[in-house]
Amino acid sequence: MENQSQQTHHPKKHWYDRYYKIMLFAPVVLLAICIIYLFSFYSQNGDIIYKDPSLSGGTTITITEEVDVEDLELHIQQSVPDVHIRVISDISTGRQIAVLIESSSSPEVLIPLVEEFIGKPLNESNSSIEFSGPSLSDNFYKQLAIAVLISFILMSLVIFFLFKTFVPSIAVIFSAFADIIMAVTVANLLEIRLSAAGIAAFLMLIGYSVDNNILLTMRVLKNRGQSVNSRIYSSFKTGILMTCTGLAALIPAFFIVTGLPDSFRQIFFILAIGLTATIINTWLTNASIIKWYAEYKKID
Amino acid sequence: MAKITFRIWVLIISLFLALLMISPTLRDGVSIKNVDSSSKSFESGLRQGMIIKEINSQQINSLEDYNLIAEQLLLNGEEKRISIVTKDSSFVFLDSNISSITVGKIPKSNIKTGLDLSGGARALVKPVNGSLTDEEVSDLVEITNQRLNVFGLTDLTIRSVKDLSGNNFMLVEVAGASRQDLADLVGKQGNFEAKIGNQTVFIGGERDITHVFRDATQSAVYQPESLGDGTYISRFTFTITLSAEAAQRHADITKLIPIDPSSGGQYLSENLTLVLDGEIVDELRISSGLKGQVTTQISIQGSGTGTTPDLATADARSQMHKLQTLLLTGSIPYQLEIVKLDTISPSLGEQFTKTLIILGLVVFLMVSLVLFLKYRKLKITLAVILTMFSEAFITLGIAALLRWNLDAASIAGIIAGIGLGVNDQIVILDESRSKDNSTIKEKIKKALFVVVGAFFTIIAAMLPLFWAGAGLLRGFAFTTIIGITVGILITRPAFADMIRKMGEQ
Repeated sequence: MENQSQQTHHPKKHWYDRYYKIMLFAPVVLLAICIIYLFSFYSQNGDIIYKDPSLSGGTTITITEEVDVEDLELHIQQSVPDVHIRVISDISTGRQIAVLIESSSSPEVLIPLVEEFIGKPLNESNSSIEFSGPSLSDNFYKQLAIAVLISFILMSLVIFFLFKTFVPSIAVIFSAFADIIMAVTVANLLEIRLSAAGIAAFLMLIGYSVDNNILLTMRVLKNRGQSVNSRIYSSFKTGILMTCTGLAALIPAFFIVTGLPDSFRQIFFILAIGLTATIINTWLTNASIIKWYAEYKKID
Repeated sequence: MAKITFRIWVLIISLFLALLMISPTLRDGVSIKNVDSSSKSFESGLRQGMIIKEINSQQINSLEDYNLIAEQLLLNGEEKRISIVTKDSSFVFLDSNISSITVGKIPKSNIKTGLDLSGGARALVKPVNGSLTDEEVSDLVEITNQRLNVFGLTDLTIRSVKDLSGNNFMLVEVAGASRQDLADLVGKQGNFEAKIGNQTVFIGGERDITHVFRDATQSAVYQPESLGDGTYISRFTFTITLSAEAAQRHADITKLIPIDPSSGGQYLSENLTLVLDGEIVDELRISSGLKGQVTTQISIQGSGTGTTPDLATADARSQMHKLQTLLLTGSIPYQLEIVKLDTISPSLGEQFTKTLIILGLVVFLMVSLVLFLKYRKLKITLAVILTMFSEAFITLGIAALLRWNLDAASIAGIIAGIGLGVNDQIVILDESRSKDNSTIKEKIKKALFVVVGAFFTIIAAMLPLFWAGAGLLRGFAFTTIIGITVGILITRPAFADMIRKMGEQ
């Protein structure tokens, strides 16, 4: 087996034979760092993500008026200390498109403060006002967390059913898990306040993540008559193209922010981070595990 | 010319059916969203859903045209002859303006957009204590539907939703209602009582109140008066008809009340107090002539306030309208709480829709660019693009058929679903072109393994979203699942045939 692969394949693959176990090490360390980070994040914030008012309870007011954001923040902070203000601006012109004012207080408190600042009443045509009661949003959040869990378990069952072998299935599930953990970590580092739609994106990420892994595992286990390395390499070529087209479809959304709903951008953002993570977890983690497994089981 | 296979025919027919479902049109005019049922325009026969083409011989092509004319009419405030030509008919009435009519853009197709794209208000309602049984929530939906209809809102969706832990909520989505309207009409129990002393004379609902007058002859809003402190008050009055039983009760109670001597014998010594959900709406003096009389017609009064005379009148009109609605529809047997209340500006939504179309085009372009760079074959790239487009289009067709409201998350679902579809196509392409020793049949079997495997994982992953968070995100799950199902059943087989034909050539 070893001999054969040396005769028929590119010299650069010796390199892979020697280092693939070490290549497994890197993503595992990265994952460990992410998990430690999330633990410390949890101990500081009482949760593993930043939540927007739809999940933590409170009000989001979106206005299309051009305002001085710092002044607005100061003005509101005098009465409501926990206010977050975000600006959506056009990437090419830098023009302010919308201002999002988020706070845990009720609309009855927040609306007059904003009206005072902009000097006119907020109505249906100049603003959007979203309010979620604290108990409801708490409940929503818990349910979405359970949904992610259920979805992960269902996905694992499908994977076990597909491959019917333990190690390859666990490898696929593990890399999907790592994708999610890494995406959550990056979202936290960028201080993204997740909405319900953002969490739904994690479910979608599970789907995207297994695509590559199923392909890799299937080719390694079923493509008879080729060396394991060439099977991995051929799936790498296909898989990376899949990820690239995926990213090509997602990335324009960040440049065309003009007038895109926030929920929409969050879904795309989480998917984009997640897809980037799949490159690491599929082609370093899962590929190494499956190669190890194939050599151990002497699959050919 | 390549032969069109059965699978490609299926794709062509599906695309054609989707086009029929979506049925895009390019009509001019504006569509009536709502007509105030107590207005003269309503009397003349104008109704929701009609398409306005002309007002006073001026052509109406767009919302801008309409708003311009509406403003002109409002400015010169006198009563005048207004003639409105709709698509099928014409209407004439006398009024000072056309503010009783709410209009919107003509739907360009059967695709319905969700609240976050079209604008409107949404409320999620539950009782103050605990949850509702399935039966209670369907009763609540019915009463609320009636209330909003009586109030004059027609473009609405009211349904019960269930979350993962089995709690029932009522979800109300309505275009053209303000925050306050929803809070007052949906969140309120609507418990109306007319009392003398501590005795109840009549309550809201059809048992005691047989009719509520809403036309101009028996209901009115009076000229506002200044209160001196910079605010204005405007009073309103309207007549209701009591049932025989309630009228008798009124007679029995007033019989025992003495006449107030300080009023010069004009009024009784106790007042009729109108109470709504524990708050006093108004207190009315009872004319001494009514003492012990069985009267079926009672006049109800109240007031609205505001910082300008116009605001006071508008407030009075709105208060009257809501009170009339609650008197007609009666109360709900428990206290309600609005746990989520969103109002989305339609102007933001308009931008969203435009941007989404541009975004869609850019996504197609980017994906085809990547694929062209990789395969260097125009035909293959075109086949992928055609497949992507077909998937999106057929998904939209199914959404139109099911009258599914597409919100931003649903559209994200369509795009993400197409992304997954492209992944599958790449697998098919690469498997069919791979140089391993297996036969074509084995290759297709392997590609199918990946495609079907990915299909079931995505379905498994999306399933919980149908219930989590009161199903507010089910649109995302729905379009993703429809998209990938269309992919696996219709577009993917056709794509595989196209690629095979290209291979043969």
